[in-house]
Amino acid sequence: MSAFIQSNKAAAEGPSLIGRRRLLPRLRSHGGALWRRWRYPFTRRTPLLIETAYNPKTLAAEKEIVDKRPLYWIAGLLVLLVVPPVFGDNSFLSAATVFAIYAAINIVWMLMIGTAGIFSLATLAVVGAAAYTVSYISIHTGLPWWGMIAVSPLVGLLFGVLIAIPAIRLEGFYYALLTVGIADLCREFVLQTQALGAASYGLYGADTYVPKGISERGGLLLSFYAAFVVMLAALALYRMVNGQRLGLLLRTAPEGQEAFAAALGINYRAARIQVFLISSAALGAIGGFYATYFKGASPALFTMDSLLLLLAMIVIGGIGTAEGAVVGTLIVVLFDRVFIGLGPVRLIIIAMIMFGTVLFLRRGLFGIAPQFRAWRDKRRSERRALRTGEGDDIMPEDATQIADKQAIYTQRFDKQLREELKKLVTDELIAEHRRTDGGRRSDALERILTFFRRAEVAGKYAILAEKPFAAYRIVALSGKRGMPPRLVDDQVFATQEEAQHGVFLKRIRDLLDS
Amino acid sequence: MSEVLRIENLSAGYDALGVLHNIDFTVQAGERIGIIGLNGHGKSTLLRAIAGLTGWQSGSIKLNGVEIGGVRSQGPGRFTHQIVRRGLALMPQGDALFHGLTVADHLDSGAYTRRAWRERMRRRERMLEVFPPLAKLLSVPVGRLSGGERRMVSLARGLMADASLLLIDEPSLGLAPKISKGLIEALMRIDLGSGAMVIAEQNLSRLEGAMTRLVTLHAGKLKGGAAANMGLLGGHH
Amino acid sequence: MHIDFYYLAVTTVTLASIYGLLAVGISIIWSSLGMINMAHGFTFAVSGYGAWLVAQNISTNGVVVLAGGVLTGMLSGAVIGGLAFVPLYDKPNFAVRSLIATLAIALFGSQCLLWAFGPRVKALPPIFPTGGFKFGTASVSYDRLGAIVCSIVLLLAMLAWMKRSRRGLEIRAMMQNPEGAALVGVGLRSTAIAVMMVTGGLAGLAAVLLSRTYFVSPFAGAIPLVKGIIVALAGGLGSLAGALIAAALLGLVEALTAVGLGGRFVLITQFLVIIIILLIRPRGIAGMLERTRE
Repeated sequence: MSAFIQSNKAAAEGPSLIGRRRLLPRLRSHGGALWRRWRYPFTRRTPLLIETAYNPKTLAAEKEIVDKRPLYWIAGLLVLLVVPPVFGDNSFLSAATVFAIYAAINIVWMLMIGTAGIFSLATLAVVGAAAYTVSYISIHTGLPWWGMIAVSPLVGLLFGVLIAIPAIRLEGFYYALLTVGIADLCREFVLQTQALGAASYGLYGADTYVPKGISERGGLLLSFYAAFVVMLAALALYRMVNGQRLGLLLRTAPEGQEAFAAALGINYRAARIQVFLISSAALGAIGGFYATYFKGASPALFTMDSLLLLLAMIVIGGIGTAEGAVVGTLIVVLFDRVFIGLGPVRLIIIAMIMFGTVLFLRRGLFGIAPQFRAWRDKRRSERRALRTGEGDDIMPEDATQIADKQAIYTQRFDKQLREELKKLVTDELIAEHRRTDGGRRSDALERILTFFRRAEVAGKYAILAEKPFAAYRIVALSGKRGMPPRLVDDQVFATQEEAQHGVFLKRIRDLLDS
Repeated sequence: MSEVLRIENLSAGYDALGVLHNIDFTVQAGERIGIIGLNGHGKSTLLRAIAGLTGWQSGSIKLNGVEIGGVRSQGPGRFTHQIVRRGLALMPQGDALFHGLTVADHLDSGAYTRRAWRERMRRRERMLEVFPPLAKLLSVPVGRLSGGERRMVSLARGLMADASLLLIDEPSLGLAPKISKGLIEALMRIDLGSGAMVIAEQNLSRLEGAMTRLVTLHAGKLKGGAAANMGLLGGHH
Repeated sequence: MHIDFYYLAVTTVTLASIYGLLAVGISIIWSSLGMINMAHGFTFAVSGYGAWLVAQNISTNGVVVLAGGVLTGMLSGAVIGGLAFVPLYDKPNFAVRSLIATLAIALFGSQCLLWAFGPRVKALPPIFPTGGFKFGTASVSYDRLGAIVCSIVLLLAMLAWMKRSRRGLEIRAMMQNPEGAALVGVGLRSTAIAVMMVTGGLAGLAAVLLSRTYFVSPFAGAIPLVKGIIVALAGGLGSLAGALIAAALLGLVEALTAVGLGGRFVLITQFLVIIIILLIRPRGIAGMLERTRE
């Protein structure tokens, strides 16, 4: 049997569902149970969320993948894994390696910014600090590359603890700016310290994981695969932290609404710091890998420009999602490393993309769809709000409440008729009514009068002869048996014709007001 | 009698929420109009729509014959300063004060429009006559004042400009009855000249008798404003 | 250890006036516009080039060069305001988006400068006469004196202008409550551009005055930007008085460190001081002085 994947979600999002109820019951079938039996080892996670049900109309068994993102991830990662080694030349391959490293950094950074909500800009500073430290140790003690990678998370953690201290007290921008300063402090320190290679612009000579005898292409390939593994590890970490308990805790305490979480007894501060420290350790590990890849570290890690490029990556993709981090990194690295022939222009292009993104998009490329939906909904409800006046079309959500469906169409017809009649009202028409009292009238006037005659009894105007042939007044009928009409105003007319014209004017006014 | 404000077919709201529906409303020079309505029926939104502070609006608003409304859904407040310079003063709910600035600064800022700026000292004197308690507080930052004093500062700031239309949103909200009575009396003492005043209130008794005319706002629609409709067919009578 | 008081005083005042000039701009922009202007450093760099072009093509007279720098700075400020503030200020997430927008402008601008003028540094003609005089035991060059006097005069003028003038009131009102400001007739966009121009002018002035320290180059603005941000942060973003106090304090710390420990430790001690200040008062020195934008 062919897997019949019907997109129920698309139907649910369709435009015309407001106010309608789904009357057909959807019966679950048991095919999904087979899929739910598959678990990732040691967790209760299923690989794919698959829902199975019988089609309410045809009763055929249907299968739907509720969340297709894992499939997209796998496909995207496969492309990234296959394309550079197979189709890329050497420079492309090293660009791909750099991409993988930066993507790993950005994914971990996203944990800090998105999950923990700590706007730290000292990310590269942590990476750099770890890279420098392990390079220094390796150069002076001969620590092998695996030792470097083993030590580096500790360095990152230590550095993370140091820069987490101000985060306890500082908020938002104050902390972001302080971390800019911290990165600059590191740069100055490295540039002025002889032992850290101030003279040679960088500290080089550390051990590397690329074996000595390997060919150039082989070394590049090995580097790329290793960097790819690092990126996968970063993704796994993101999933573990953001998708599990810590991430859930922090989602209850978004910025500005922490009080609610606190009232529930959630210690969001501790959770934030925990995520921050975990990310710092991970950044340290990436720093260690960086040092083994580049055989050292360079002060460029601490400069404003690197920070800018890194920020451009996550901004373009969209702050808050791992896929945003990866795609943003891909775009920026593509321009920065692959189109290197463009010279300074490539950075100008990156700046322009970045600027355009913040100008038009709230949450980067991956925010386009929700932003568009929000915009469309807003426009729709604005238009709907503009349309609903008294006696206007009944909106679909109200229409479900009205049993007599004919009333809905009567009202719609009435509204259209009134709009049409409004156009006929002119000074001449009113003068004509006064002139041709009861006589032959133009078509336009006849139409309007016919409409007036058709009005409901309740509230209909009538003429009360207080003194026949001397004093007439306008009243409005109550529409209820036994309840007398009420006086409309204090105008008194001398003749019946004048009073009739007075009623006409009132009705015209009501028509124009409606 | 000249028209200070003429609103035709105004609808306004915020995002998906429509608050005002097809409102027609006219204010003549020299009038003091009270808008009565319950919470959430659109009093503040009407005043804010006139000042261009709602999320979106459609319809026509003419201040002294100049169109200040129109269809807009581009961010609230984009045109407010221009409307204010054409002679509108809105004293909003919550007062919108500058907490770090002194009372004197507030009075000066009220006289921000160019003509008023030159004669701000004279105007300040006049305001202190209307609100005598402020005289002692001139150099105190507004953040340290009490609620009643703040309301006075807000009103005085609004009155400093050469506004031809004063819109006052709930002058008595959150104040002790005695203080709010005094405030309303002070407002009644103000010489409107060729301008007009619109006060939004929940409480009918506070305004009854003092105003030229009262209208009610119910569920985003104006009721009982017979005079509001007069203009429409005035020529034919 | 013997500490030369006169030398210390001169260094402190010099640094304080420079830091003040750098920090005040960032601080005012944050408080009145609610935006961190990361392109302030770019304004600094481009003003240097503006002054250099004036010196090359028009006149090497000190005043003319200075005016060239200030005018370029004002223009650059206005452009930044027009690009980053005007389209974004009533959009959601304004604070973060404007920060990123100014960063993008900074990246764009510095790369354009690199493209147009190349990476070589340029030197401006001397603005003040060479030579100097003795102040106690310390010698002060006219150049340094000119920088100090210029920046102090300008900062005081700025303070007075903010306090007294109609524009100043407008800016202070906007700092406190943008909607209230609109309600008294202050145009947020025009005021924002005015603020950007004034602070841009300050950055331009600083660029010319400091052209002996930070030579004219495409990336000359990075270090002044970071210093300015740090000082503004320690002062409590948004407070002029706080920024000036912080500038004086950090100037003193730097002078003391340079004399006592050596130039290498300057940044470290400065940072320690700032972090201590911020741990005690998260809103900086001015956190207790006045209420500013949240």
